[in-house]
Amino acid sequence: MFDRKTIRRRRAVLIAFVAAAMVLITVSFGGGGPLGSIQQGAQDVVSPIENGANRALKPVRDLFGWLGDTFDAKGDNEQLRDEVASLRKELAARETARRDADQLRGLVGLRRTDGFPEGTNPVAARVITRSPTVWYSTIRINKGSGDGIRVDQPVIAAGGLAGKVTRVSGGSAQVTLITDSSSAVSAQVVPNGANGIIKPEVGKPDDLLLDFVQKGRRLREKSTVVTSGFASDQVHSIFPRGIPVGRVSRVDLDEVELYQRVHIKPFADLRRLDFVQVLTQRPGTQAQVPTP
Amino acid sequence: MIPTPGAFLRVGGLLLAAVIVQLSGLGQMRILGGHLDFVPLVVAGVAYYAGSVSGAATGFGAGLLLDLLAGQTMGASSLVLCAVGYGVGRFRELRDPSHGLLPIPVGAAATAGWVLAFGAVSFMLDVGAAKVSGLVFREMVVTVLLDTLVALPVFGLVRRVIRPVLAVDPLERRRRRQRPRESGPLGLRGMEV
Repeated sequence: MFDRKTIRRRRAVLIAFVAAAMVLITVSFGGGGPLGSIQQGAQDVVSPIENGANRALKPVRDLFGWLGDTFDAKGDNEQLRDEVASLRKELAARETARRDADQLRGLVGLRRTDGFPEGTNPVAARVITRSPTVWYSTIRINKGSGDGIRVDQPVIAAGGLAGKVTRVSGGSAQVTLITDSSSAVSAQVVPNGANGIIKPEVGKPDDLLLDFVQKGRRLREKSTVVTSGFASDQVHSIFPRGIPVGRVSRVDLDEVELYQRVHIKPFADLRRLDFVQVLTQRPGTQAQVPTP
Repeated sequence: MIPTPGAFLRVGGLLLAAVIVQLSGLGQMRILGGHLDFVPLVVAGVAYYAGSVSGAATGFGAGLLLDLLAGQTMGASSLVLCAVGYGVGRFRELRDPSHGLLPIPVGAAATAGWVLAFGAVSFMLDVGAAKVSGLVFREMVVTVLLDTLVALPVFGLVRRVIRPVLAVDPLERRRRRQRPRESGPLGLRGMEV
């Protein structure tokens, strides 16, 4: 069907493309390098088009989202009613505890460290692209360094932690989600106080793992998990204290393991992010709280 | 395909549109836990009508655009899509299939090859976790099924865009071949001399 020359040419083309792809992978592996700046430049050029396409396709996306939501609505409704009832009770108890804590703090002259959301200056941004892999690793937003976005700033969505900024250009920024395999967030279960590290279960964006929680701590399902904002003299967590992450959905008590593994359902729907907020400031340390 | 500036413009525009629509719209549209993926369908479409060399080149270009705009490891998508384009092109060259519904299985096979191979490559490069949730495979299956549903119109669109720059349109050639002869060269009906 083909002569030898055509066959040789065809094979040579394939080999050349495969070799070029391998060279590109080798050069750009790990990010950065000359290809990193080319990528950033290309993203800056195309981000207005992507932004427009994102807005234009939003009605279609919403339609499919609405269809999916309608199927889940009935179950969600009952679940949310239960949750509201339990949160009302919890709120009353918390208010009392907070008033007591403020009074005691005033008595002993303790300085208070602010947590989320005080002093964090959130900047709202639209999600313009999502990484095409199945690993839920990154998204890109339509705000960049011109809007005060910097690398390592925390990103929240729907009241829960979503990730952190990992790359910034003039008009857009890349956010690595907490479901990325490289992600690790120091967190605390409230009101229990048990600390651990949140790691993702790769490929399962609605199930995070709070690992390294000591076995002695008894944890209840539906307890809230927040960032612990770990800080010492030398290092501190990039996530300020008190950002809600999710609720405890299950606790694995394996007798062989040293630690218990706590499953968390994140507050942010990491499969469907339309808007996020970037916390462009860290909460500072406030002066002594006046005694009420 | 005839490698003219017009051909590059047409295929380049098609790829750019497909990648932008994919990243900004379809990639974020959750349908039954998966999403539509136009990129492997467009690459397979070009390869199906234009052959293996054009398919490999289109796959490489599409991958390059995807990696560039998604900010992931460059070359990973190019490697996989180049293989997908070459494979589909070779299938067409060797078998010269004639059924009008063939884009459906071709699109499904191209998407399956893409999601599996790209999942494996990106896992090795960027993830490397010890344990992976089974949901990933469910999402891959849903994506293949959704792409199967839209393969026919996408292939039709691709054909419409690249038809003016095709050296030989396989569908047109086939139609000419299959047309019943009204008469032989000497004007004798049914005579094939």
